[in-house]
Amino acid sequence: MTVTVMVVDDHPIWREGVARDLGERGLEVVATAPDAGAAVRIAPAVRPQVVLMDLNLGETSGVDAIAGIVETLPDTKVLVLSASGEHADVLEALKAGATGYLVKSASAEELVDAVCRTAEGVPVFTPGLAGLVLGEYRRLAQRPAGEPAVPALTDRETEVLRLVAKGLTAKQIGERLVVSHRTVESHVQNTLRKLQLHNRSQLVRYALEQGLADD
Amino acid sequence: MFRPAPVPATLIDVERPLEPLWRGVVVYRVLTLVTVIGVSAFHMSDYASPLGAGLVLAVMTVWTAVLARGWLVGADERRGPLALADLAVSAGIMLTTPLIVTDAQLDASAPGMGSIWTSGAVLACAVAYRIPGGVVAAAVISAALVLAKSRATLTELNDIQILVLAGLTVGYASSVLRRAAERVRRAVAEEAAAAERERLARAVHDGVLQVLAHVGRRGAELGGAAAELGTLAGEQEVALRTLLTSGNAQVDAEGRRDLAATLRALASGRVTVSAPAHPIDLPAATVGELDAVVRAALANVERHVGADAPAWVLVEELDGAIEISVRDDGPGIPAGRLAEAEEQGRLGVARSMRGRVEELGGTLGLDTGPGRGTEWTIRIPARAEKCRESV
Repeated sequence: MTVTVMVVDDHPIWREGVARDLGERGLEVVATAPDAGAAVRIAPAVRPQVVLMDLNLGETSGVDAIAGIVETLPDTKVLVLSASGEHADVLEALKAGATGYLVKSASAEELVDAVCRTAEGVPVFTPGLAGLVLGEYRRLAQRPAGEPAVPALTDRETEVLRLVAKGLTAKQIGERLVVSHRTVESHVQNTLRKLQLHNRSQLVRYALEQGLADD
Repeated sequence: MFRPAPVPATLIDVERPLEPLWRGVVVYRVLTLVTVIGVSAFHMSDYASPLGAGLVLAVMTVWTAVLARGWLVGADERRGPLALADLAVSAGIMLTTPLIVTDAQLDASAPGMGSIWTSGAVLACAVAYRIPGGVVAAAVISAALVLAKSRATLTELNDIQILVLAGLTVGYASSVLRRAAERVRRAVAEEAAAAERERLARAVHDGVLQVLAHVGRRGAELGGAAAELGTLAGEQEVALRTLLTSGNAQVDAEGRRDLAATLRALASGRVTVSAPAHPIDLPAATVGELDAVVRAALANVERHVGADAPAWVLVEELDGAIEISVRDDGPGIPAGRLAEAEEQGRLGVARSMRGRVEELGGTLGLDTGPGRGTEWTIRIPARAEKCRESV
């Protein structure tokens, strides 16, 4: 079955180039969008399996678009294709529901491979991304006691994330830890899911507090 | 991206923070001149030389006008010398006292020539030269006072005390104002630099970076000579992005620097740097040393594994420690090679890296073996380096 993709990027050269690369390699680009508003409007109409999202969308933010798309289309996966300089934005995008991150300098093959893995529900983790996620868990762990439970990594999850951040492939990690690369991937997936759940519960808590304060 | 707190609409003029003090000195000088002329008029008939008194008062009036011009509209760099000239003139006026005021008048507590007007010189020196200037000027005027009246009764001691106090207070105010202005100036400059960088980043993102990234990808697909061009374009893209975001790696006002941003600047086509999204602020000297150690480890990868060999840097903030790992996928260092090199007196990379890390109270670990690559682990304690809370 052909994987359907929507490309969101504010730059026309890039947008068309990526769409053509994907099309030439057997993927179906069902829509393109230049900004967050258009992305959120168009996505429900075309229901793509994967949204390929740039974070720096001119005046609008890709993070907002991700939250909107994940909210209305739970089966759609978001893959961030971004500049390497936007670390804080990438972390926010992950917490908002993106399941992978690829730098724009990646080759066309890497891109197609990442889109296909995203469609299958396998998170696309670069070493840089693992570093960001590790750092975020450490930051959460250092917050003062008394706050509602923050997500924590198991020892094995920490071990796996650190090895990803140090540049080992899933296969290499599997060999080191004597587990299958599937197991490695599911550990990675768990670290991301816990972070997204925490983010959602925080948003709900915030909304409730605001609602109560208004009464 | 780092943004300094917005600066409130100028409470002080950053370029000329001392203006309010200079205006105050002028007001003080004019008021005291009027007072002194009044008091002298009252004593005029008893003076040994009423003509001399009139002459001295005239000089004081002219000098006050000269000072008013200098303090209000004069160039900043001429104010220091003018304050010193003021000190000399004021002391001189005071020293004319024995020629004009009689001993009987002084015994009856009549003031010397200039009296309270001369203390304006102490204020001017304090504004221009801060506390040292205020104290020295107070000493000069006090000496002139005692010399001119050739006595040091309770009245004179009281005057001296007030002169010194005025010198200290105004000198302190002058240095506080200068420091505040310097802070505001720096904050404004940082804000402007951050805004400019952001503006540039937006412009470059919309154009140059997109094209470079595109060239990089198409080049790789076309292969051959185009691939080489593509690689070059890709390297420039990374370098340009790093340049635009490296503002975070600068030393802040407290002498601290973000380790994460500093090490990210080492990223290139072959080097991947992974770090938390939030800053890891450490003393700038520590960050400089760690940067040097990581560079040495990366240079070592280049030398022993190959110029194109990929390397990975991971920075982590653990409980009370900073850990940096530098890893490659090369053949590994055979057992005993390092020890052998050290024995032969070749200092080698390990020795200098270890020295630097131990200076920081840390440890350097090495994990290597055939087929396993090489991983250096730098671990330093981060005393009281609490993670900055940011939401």
